[in-house]
Amino acid sequence: MNGKSRRAFARVAGLGCAGMSFAAVVLLAASTSAIAGATEWELDLDARLVTSNGEKSFFRGGFGTLRFDEQTSGLQWGRIRLALNQNLGEVWSLHLDASSFGNDEQNPLDLTEAYLQFRPYPFDGFRARLKAGAFYAPISLENRLAGWESPYTLSSSAINTWVGEELRTVGLEGQIDWLGTRTGHLFDLALTGAVFGWNDPAGVVVARNGFMLNDRQSTLFGRVAQYGGPPPAQAPEVFREIDGRPGAYAGLEARYLDRVVLRVLRYDNRGDPAVFDPSSHEFAWLTRFDSAGLRAESASGWSAVAQWLDGQTFVEPRGTRFGWGFRSKFLLVSKRTGQHTFSVRYDSFDVASRQARSDDGDQHGHAWTAAYIFEPGTRWRFTLEWLSVWSDSDNRSDFGGLQIGADELLREHKLEAALRYAVGSAVK
Amino acid sequence: MRTYARTTAGKPGKCRSAGILTRSTSVGAARIFAAEWLARLLPAAMVALAVAALLAGGLEAALAAVPAASVSITVKGPDDHPVPGAVVTVRALGTDAKPAAPVRAIMDQINRAFEPDLLVIPVGSTVEFPNSDSVSHQIYSFSPARKFQLPLYRGNPNPPVHFDQAGVVTLGCNIHDEMVAYLVVTDAQYFGRTDATGTWTADIPRGKYRVSVWHPRMNEGAGELERELTVAEGDRATLTLHLAKPLRAAPLQPHPHSWDAY
Repeated sequence: MNGKSRRAFARVAGLGCAGMSFAAVVLLAASTSAIAGATEWELDLDARLVTSNGEKSFFRGGFGTLRFDEQTSGLQWGRIRLALNQNLGEVWSLHLDASSFGNDEQNPLDLTEAYLQFRPYPFDGFRARLKAGAFYAPISLENRLAGWESPYTLSSSAINTWVGEELRTVGLEGQIDWLGTRTGHLFDLALTGAVFGWNDPAGVVVARNGFMLNDRQSTLFGRVAQYGGPPPAQAPEVFREIDGRPGAYAGLEARYLDRVVLRVLRYDNRGDPAVFDPSSHEFAWLTRFDSAGLRAESASGWSAVAQWLDGQTFVEPRGTRFGWGFRSKFLLVSKRTGQHTFSVRYDSFDVASRQARSDDGDQHGHAWTAAYIFEPGTRWRFTLEWLSVWSDSDNRSDFGGLQIGADELLREHKLEAALRYAVGSAVK
Repeated sequence: MRTYARTTAGKPGKCRSAGILTRSTSVGAARIFAAEWLARLLPAAMVALAVAALLAGGLEAALAAVPAASVSITVKGPDDHPVPGAVVTVRALGTDAKPAAPVRAIMDQINRAFEPDLLVIPVGSTVEFPNSDSVSHQIYSFSPARKFQLPLYRGNPNPPVHFDQAGVVTLGCNIHDEMVAYLVVTDAQYFGRTDATGTWTADIPRGKYRVSVWHPRMNEGAGELERELTVAEGDRATLTLHLAKPLRAAPLQPHPHSWDAY
């Protein structure tokens, strides 16, 4: 992309962000007026009771790995979510997902996803699908519930916490499905490709703070406080276009009946790490990763989910390139019996500085999560989760105000109870 | 004798001869009497015999139209466990027997699932697809036996769909990928599904038949599980068919519908 087209893309990008905000409000209003029609809506209220010894959390400008730290233990709002699905004629539909996560959120209610989907009829066993707007890339195999929540645990794995924090496809995604199980085969296949913008800061959080484990998702127009950065209200938005260069990903999904799902994805935000955005005082980050995941389920209620992610992120201030490698994996095993679900997950994660003389951003750790979920119906869900993280962090040691060595493992743990109530026409 | 004479006196001609005969010898008269009546009855008897023969033939034909045997077909897996829900079709061989009469069937959609999720219907039948859910569904089939689509709808706004070609029709909903159902359109004379013990029983006339078995989750191809069956009169025919390969895993139940939002 030459300089002219790059500037043009940046202009469109800038307009797009404001435009998207406006469009979202208009579509929200349009959908609300059609509630009596083919609109499905849902309101979720999720309250938490937390006891945590966590370090100052990322959301308050700290280097903790948990969402609720020692200072924010107690009664908290987990999430307030309002979602709308509107069919538009035969093959188009609109999806809006707005949430408030309570803790230091800059917008009282903001979108986590907003997209238009085109889903024409299958043709001879094949089907094309198109999504336009802002949505999740097909990476997570645990966040499978509406609102990108997990039926297994409260907190996402390290990988999917990062996905929820820094990644959103703001652009166009196409998918070709081969519906093999509808033609007497054992497999379904899907090829996915996307072109997107507004993802240039992706990488900054994993390079500065490392991996975390929580259930908070960045909202499309949300801002979060960062260590050493401006106050939260003036912090830059998470999803921005800086270099005018679109990113892309391609993925493959294979399903064996409804028992096993395999997903692989190659992601590249194609950021130009030398481009600086004076308004946010941020460079564009060049972030690439490979992701793979496998989920297997049995008729007796057992599920196993494993994911792996390996990537690099670069930034290039004043002609000097700095890079970090990041990788994580987890294995989750879950047993569902009637209204009860028991899950255990093990995560491990590493961030490694590529600078010859600096360990800034280095982080290593692992975590155990155990969760019990009781769902007496579709409206109520009760979760009890214990999460313990052992991690060392160079940045936390240098800037976090802790008297702890850079290679010394710090244990953070929490016990969290959640009570969630859902209401709406989408709640069946 | 007086009485006899008196009785015949009213019939002058007969009276005379009878009277004569009576007077001459009573045994010989009786023989002549029987022969005379036999000669008179013979044509009628022959006619009666012919009618009886015809009736007997008709009866035989009529008997042939009623069930001659109770046929019991059992489907088992390779582990010898019964296979419930298998579709059994029985076609007459060597005759121009017509398929079973078409029916009007209904396949509903309740709680984002087809209800029932499998129907066996004769060729020429029609099926209605009402949607009893509060959410809309779109039905599609790209099976060669019948390709069709029902646009997004609720309630029952569509006319019944006509199925005029034998084969398996796989149905899906374009909105909810987890919804799947099957229509087995058959040109067989007799058909049904195995019960919990893996058995299907029917009364079938004597003759030669081809028995086919199909199951939505079987790994054998269509036509791989077929046997010939001869049904004799008054028989009680039994046939057990074994799947060579185990059935594929059943869909996971129960899954909250929202579990595959992503």
